[in-house]
Amino acid sequence: MSPRARIALLVLAGLVLLPGTGAVIAGLPPFGSTIAQYGERINAITPQVRHVANMVSAINFDLRGLDTLGEEFMLLAAITGTVVLLRGRRGEGNTERAMRRPGRAVIPRSDTVVLVCRIAGPLTALFGLYVVLHATVTPGGGFQGGVILASATLLIYLGEGYAGWRDTVRSHWLDAMEGGGALLFTLCGLAPMLTGAAFMQNVLPLGTFRDVFSGGLMLVENLGVALAVTGGFTQLFLEFMEETRAADEPDEPGEESA
Amino acid sequence: MTLILPLLFLLTAVSGTAVVLVRDPARQIFAIAVNGLVLAILFDALQAPDVALSELAVGAAAVPLLFLVALMAVRTRPPEEKS
Repeated sequence: MSPRARIALLVLAGLVLLPGTGAVIAGLPPFGSTIAQYGERINAITPQVRHVANMVSAINFDLRGLDTLGEEFMLLAAITGTVVLLRGRRGEGNTERAMRRPGRAVIPRSDTVVLVCRIAGPLTALFGLYVVLHATVTPGGGFQGGVILASATLLIYLGEGYAGWRDTVRSHWLDAMEGGGALLFTLCGLAPMLTGAAFMQNVLPLGTFRDVFSGGLMLVENLGVALAVTGGFTQLFLEFMEETRAADEPDEPGEESA
Repeated sequence: MTLILPLLFLLTAVSGTAVVLVRDPARQIFAIAVNGLVLAILFDALQAPDVALSELAVGAAAVPLLFLVALMAVRTRPPEEKS
């Protein structure tokens, strides 16, 4: 396509799309003016019927739990795809040990960095756990806590070096966490059906309002999401890091097909 | 509050533009991280702490780190060929 045709297409598309976009933007409620009706209903109903203080978690894991199940599998598929793509060339065999590019110097870490990482790492992990466990009480939840936990493992990498990180983080465990989390979430949907309830109906005791143990089935689903996200994100980091190292390994044709 | 929000919007626009204008990829990654941080503060000011927490974890930590690692993979090749 020639540049002139491209610009013509752009102008044409703009002419078609701009009026609609303008109309939609003009129709939006003014900035910060009202809470939407749906939000008001949720705020009014949820504390009574679900004993949950964090409405976002209530929507994510209960009222619209099916959407989150879809997102869960989206994440699983995305990470599986990335892992297959990055791991495809070198196969599965060499992910067990830490690799180092032959030409790259190992920069010694200063004591300060090691100390700060050793202090901040466990604290970050603790905060991640807190965010995961208090999903139904305070802002946050399985996804946010999971990402914080995954970044806590990165502080190990920063403080102890790549080999130390690989000793801590096991690739197979991450696979199990990622898949197991998604499985746990699915089982949370299917298990209520055994008792005759609907898919993902909240059959567990709901607990006390504003307590860690509130929300019933949401807590289990939240745990599943946390497992999947922690495993998935750490796996993603691991595969990216491994990719920067394995690239230089001699590729043997026989190994590649295996 | 009336002053904080416009200020944060301005900061978002400035840091977002900086991501585009900074040409060196390594600095660009830090610009993205700063943009994520500003967005997280903005979301928090708009009373969306859940989204702010996600933005902080993903936009300001996870994504820049993945970019940094990917950049490392691309960058290590030329010096090795030279030496």
